[in-house]
Amino acid sequence: MAKTRIEVDHVARIEGHGDIHLEMSDGRVERCEFSVTEPARLFENMVRGRHFEEAPYISSRVCGICSASHTLTDILAIERIFGVEVTERTRAIRQLLVYGSFLQNHATHLFVFAAPDFLGHKSVFPLSEADPALFEGALACKALGNELCTRVGGRSIHPITAVVGGFTDELDASAYLELAGKMDAMVDFALGAVDLFNDFSVPGFETQGDLLAMVQPGAYPVIGSDTARFVRSGVEFDCQGIGDHIEEYAVDHSAAFLSVMREGSRPYFASALARVNASWSELTEPARFAAAKAGLRPPEYNPFANNVAQAVEIVDALVRCSATCRALAAGDVEGSSEPVGFEVRPGRAVGFTEAPRGALFHELEIDEQGRIVQASIITPTSQNIANLEADMRALATMLAEDGADADEVQLRIEQLVRAYDPCLSCSVH
Amino acid sequence: MAETRNIPRVVVVGLASCFGCQINITNIEAHLMEVLGQIDMRYWQLTSSDSMPEEFDVAVVEGAATTEEAMQTLRRVRERASAVITIGACAATAGIPGMAAPDWEPRVADVYGAQVPAIVGDIACAPRAVSEVIEVDYAVPCCPIDPHDFVRVLQKALYGGNEYDRTSTMCGECKRNERGCFYGRQTLCLGMVTKQGCGARCPNLGRPCNGCAGLSPDANLAAARIVAERSGVGAQRLDEALEMFNQESLRSA
Repeated sequence: MAKTRIEVDHVARIEGHGDIHLEMSDGRVERCEFSVTEPARLFENMVRGRHFEEAPYISSRVCGICSASHTLTDILAIERIFGVEVTERTRAIRQLLVYGSFLQNHATHLFVFAAPDFLGHKSVFPLSEADPALFEGALACKALGNELCTRVGGRSIHPITAVVGGFTDELDASAYLELAGKMDAMVDFALGAVDLFNDFSVPGFETQGDLLAMVQPGAYPVIGSDTARFVRSGVEFDCQGIGDHIEEYAVDHSAAFLSVMREGSRPYFASALARVNASWSELTEPARFAAAKAGLRPPEYNPFANNVAQAVEIVDALVRCSATCRALAAGDVEGSSEPVGFEVRPGRAVGFTEAPRGALFHELEIDEQGRIVQASIITPTSQNIANLEADMRALATMLAEDGADADEVQLRIEQLVRAYDPCLSCSVH
Repeated sequence: MAETRNIPRVVVVGLASCFGCQINITNIEAHLMEVLGQIDMRYWQLTSSDSMPEEFDVAVVEGAATTEEAMQTLRRVRERASAVITIGACAATAGIPGMAAPDWEPRVADVYGAQVPAIVGDIACAPRAVSEVIEVDYAVPCCPIDPHDFVRVLQKALYGGNEYDRTSTMCGECKRNERGCFYGRQTLCLGMVTKQGCGARCPNLGRPCNGCAGLSPDANLAAARIVAERSGVGAQRLDEALEMFNQESLRSA
């Protein structure tokens, strides 16, 4: 293996357009780039001057998979600026919407994008003949995520009902109970998915950087906490001060900004794996048991384990959403989801949620008239690119030392990229 | 899938977008394999690692054209395909990306600052609707598309049909739902100028229309401005809201 050059144009089965450029000489990596070629749409600029009500509607269009996350993160930033306190019921329904997108994303990523790598297929469709039960189950799991988003948000992507202060429409009790029943019925399939992804053989490998996730005492938070933690270094920060802890920078080969920790300029990985590391003990019992059985418990720094972590989160989301739906149906959650009243006032604030792919931050500044003065969107994938490149470099070096040929290096690097579950339309926005 | 010449060969191409319309095609889980069983899916980059083939019959295009490469892809697609179907607002009207079309260059500098990455600066240009670049045969409207609309349009492209596009506005559909009108609550709604077909999905759930289906050919913008003014919403808010999905119609109006 003297000179090796790996060029992948438009990596398949990821969301958006990205290329891999890897050059090695005698086992040493000379060039290693993950080039994000997704076209820039300039969302941060396009919302300037727009009325605040339009901002969540527009930013939803950053991404078809994470649309609920972008909508809610903008709403949180606006509510922080206006000083809006929403009801417990609204909080619970927002959590359902986030988990709906977790189910959609994780099922799509695991079965449509990642699994074909390990099953020796080029796409998910051959699976319909090779393993009809798995194929049907995977589609049903994804369909349930769509149904949750559709019932709660009004459609499977780009939610309609979520607005500043609450929801413009809400389900009745029987619909919540029906959803809960479907969640319960899907748990067995999801437990099987954890085993399936745990059985796939992946390289023993440790990610190069840190991991970042939302944390909250006694919870596995995806929305509602302002605290983020770098898991390996233990550094915690309030999302309102994100600029003191995360540095964004541009490079020529990427239309997305890259991010590193300000402390030590270290790259990091925001992801399901980061969440599982940060809040493992707060997973619901069936999810925690499934994780333990699969050997996924902190510290787990192998980025390939992100697939198993997502499968565990499917179990967790189903169990949690079933309980939430039952509580909402029984009227056990206080207040109404009808939008609460508020007054427009100027200010600047950061919204923070865990999107399916990891920590998502939206910073907004609004003027006296309620118009957007400035916007900044920091997506999980843009935060992850620097760490992905560091991992690609380290993995290629490790495989070369083990005598792997160029084809195997390429396959493993592509698998690594897909394990990160990058969302490139999000990352460029 | 069978390599028979009689089965229509289909490619799906994604340009600048959120990918939501392509994802929404996969969201017809119950019918997905039945739909795919009728066609020879030659290329769908979102779901497969194959590359775009030389020959095909039908091209499905999502997204706005924002690069020279995208323009070339579209021209190649048009040369080869007997039918081009666009899906979603980005492809039909440049949609949300189209909001950034006026004054594109300063906007790029605003987002990236002094150090615009080469990969952006070298290739990007102001977003354009697919129909501005090539001739389009069928358009599946809205942001995002309704996957059942996609199946209906695909059937029409494959087998033909005598159904005409309806031109009336969404306002009429909404009135039949008897949910009241936003203008009575001094709230802007674009239903009176937007193409019908969605069944007033957003107003049914308490949200006014943002015009994602595009302007209706029957739209009377002058009258709509008067209504907006009289109701206290203001004609300027109406025009501003139209910028979201109808930049191009406004420019050519």
